[in-house]
Amino acid sequence: MTAPIYITGCGVVSAIGLNQKQSLEALLGERSGVGLLTYLKTEHKEFPVGEVKLSDAEMRKLLGISENAITTRTALMGMLALDEAMKQAEITTEMLHEIGFISGTTVGGMDMSEQFYLDYISNDFHKEYISVHDCGNCSEMTAKHFGNFAFVTTLSTACSSAANAIILGANMIRCSEAEIVIVGGSECITKFHLNGFNSLMILDTKPCRPFDATRNGLNLGEGAAYLVLESEKSVKKRNAKIQAVLSGYGNACDAFHQTASSPDGEGAYRAMKEALEMAGINTTEVDYINAHGTGTPNNDVSESQAMKRLFGDNVPPASSTKPFTGHTTSASGSIEAVFCILALQNGFLPVNLNFSQAMDDGIIPVHQPTKKDLKHILCNAFGFGGNDSSLLLSKFEQK
Amino acid sequence: MTNKEIYVLSAKQISIQQPLSEEWMTNPTMYEVPFCRSIDPSFKEYVSPIEARRMGKILKRALATSKEALKASGLETVDAIVTGTGYGCIENTEFFLDALSKEGEQLLKPTYFMQSTHNTISSLIAIQTKNHGYNATYAHKGISFDSALYDAYLQFRLNKISSALVGGHDEMTETFYQILKKGGVIGFDNEICGEAAVSVVLSDKQENALCKLSGHKIIHQQGIDSLKEKVAKFLQENGKTFSDIDVILTGISGYKANDDAYMSETKALFGDRPLLKYKNLFGESFTASGIGFYVAAQCLKSGFVPRNLFVNEKDISDQRPNNILIFNRSDGTNYSLTLLEK
Repeated sequence: MTAPIYITGCGVVSAIGLNQKQSLEALLGERSGVGLLTYLKTEHKEFPVGEVKLSDAEMRKLLGISENAITTRTALMGMLALDEAMKQAEITTEMLHEIGFISGTTVGGMDMSEQFYLDYISNDFHKEYISVHDCGNCSEMTAKHFGNFAFVTTLSTACSSAANAIILGANMIRCSEAEIVIVGGSECITKFHLNGFNSLMILDTKPCRPFDATRNGLNLGEGAAYLVLESEKSVKKRNAKIQAVLSGYGNACDAFHQTASSPDGEGAYRAMKEALEMAGINTTEVDYINAHGTGTPNNDVSESQAMKRLFGDNVPPASSTKPFTGHTTSASGSIEAVFCILALQNGFLPVNLNFSQAMDDGIIPVHQPTKKDLKHILCNAFGFGGNDSSLLLSKFEQK
Repeated sequence: MTNKEIYVLSAKQISIQQPLSEEWMTNPTMYEVPFCRSIDPSFKEYVSPIEARRMGKILKRALATSKEALKASGLETVDAIVTGTGYGCIENTEFFLDALSKEGEQLLKPTYFMQSTHNTISSLIAIQTKNHGYNATYAHKGISFDSALYDAYLQFRLNKISSALVGGHDEMTETFYQILKKGGVIGFDNEICGEAAVSVVLSDKQENALCKLSGHKIIHQQGIDSLKEKVAKFLQENGKTFSDIDVILTGISGYKANDDAYMSETKALFGDRPLLKYKNLFGESFTASGIGFYVAAQCLKSGFVPRNLFVNEKDISDQRPNNILIFNRSDGTNYSLTLLEK
């Protein structure tokens, strides 16, 4: 039996809100944040996206950052989410010297590089943005806004980056390397990956419809979320309020293809199975699965197969919240983990919006608002290259 | 949690020295250029020509070092594949970014995008070796390799794994070199900017090991006093005192500000323990610390430290070190300590 890892704070920013309260209202009110492109400068206006409803300048203002400061959108969204998480967990700047920070991102500062690339290769304009291109810089920039952490690193496993950041943080606590580690991820939409996904023909020009027979691709989203992971010892010492428990996690590789999932969902199956085994719970005890559910024909078949292999005829209620937010890529693992915690605390199953027609051999997702007392939730995040991770989040019950 | 030992079974590199070889120990290739790309071996053995055409150099090198390291380890498979890369698949990223910027958004092909994310490396190795185990990638400046090593190190301690392939991979194109130089990221003083591909296999089995991985820690900068405290704690946790450390492998590179900081900080932290360097032979790169790990492991295995690795002439001796502490300092922001022992 492993020592529990407690979650004592959360922060979330996405197309459906700038904090947990707004996110919860949108989830319960079935209000999607996916819509017409507003902030990203691209020719591809045909694709609906889930943008965070603030410009970089507006975010800087909210955060009290000077107008002329060198920032990236990924770092700014990260700061907003980290601020909420730290406040909820009552973590102050003075405490940071003993706290780790692990963030997941893949695009890093690409939002700036793609704007200024032609300058970079021909003149000196905007050269001050060159040093903020890399993923590590985003984490450092985010962390530095709050003070001096004891440890900072960056996971980059595409769309499972944030989930894997959560796993590393939990392993650090279990090894007594830290009592508190703040984990998650952040990612803004860039022209780079919008065009990349478009070239792979996996973007839908209509609102995405995960697990629906008519699904035709994903909508991109953006955002950030962080979770404060804490040891039992630290929770007791500072009398911290527990929001939820991270009771298991699994990471496995599909080892099938760089940009496609295997038909039998091998990686996804292994990741979910490992999470349950670690928590020591049976498949019958899982009350809800927050699926990766991107809405691409390939993912939803593969993930359905993985669920059926693991749960047989008794697949728990499952849904994808990506129709609310769009696919927030590297941040999706932590954004959706926060949604799961909101579901645990408020006793409801998030609806899989835009579902109308069952796919062949797929699961039928939750499509009616449902109140339900939840104890255990599996939260999936899968990335390019078959980097599949699954988290088991549980309700905290006072013994 | 267990205290089982972790051994380094194999370590392979492709860099600006002779590839997949330890020739640098006796017959190093010397450079007096600010930037050069790695010396590549023939990749025929590791990847088919059709696949190779679409792959950036970083991927071909990662496959070659990984496959060689796995072969040398004697293990058929590993429980985890963890990679560190500061900038990821730069060549493919550059191709896609260049096309996006010059040709617009209508005619882009997916080829370069598909192999542009940082985790392409780890997942390609998994696909090619049919490995469904733990798989992760770290991208955090000069501690990218160290973060990957840290991930594996924790999982050994938690008994989650008993073997791992840990890699550090970075490539540098001429265009990106010029951009990063303009941005003040690389290319200072007499530093040589190189590339690095390193793969090491770790295991809890000792047989034919190069050396033992006794301890590993990453520290985010909080001032020299805090660093002193953390270094002392690290040594204590590993049952060592300052005087037990035979040599310290530094990242002294020819960049004056970096080297001065190394000299003053190692003096404050370790007194006058003998210092070694490796970037004079291998150059600077975001995963140079992976090369440092490789160099230290090979020195412990062969029982021989080449004279040109000593920072100070007075320290040159034929004495065989029993341990090497790798002290990695990334921009003065992130530090890592890695203790390797015979």
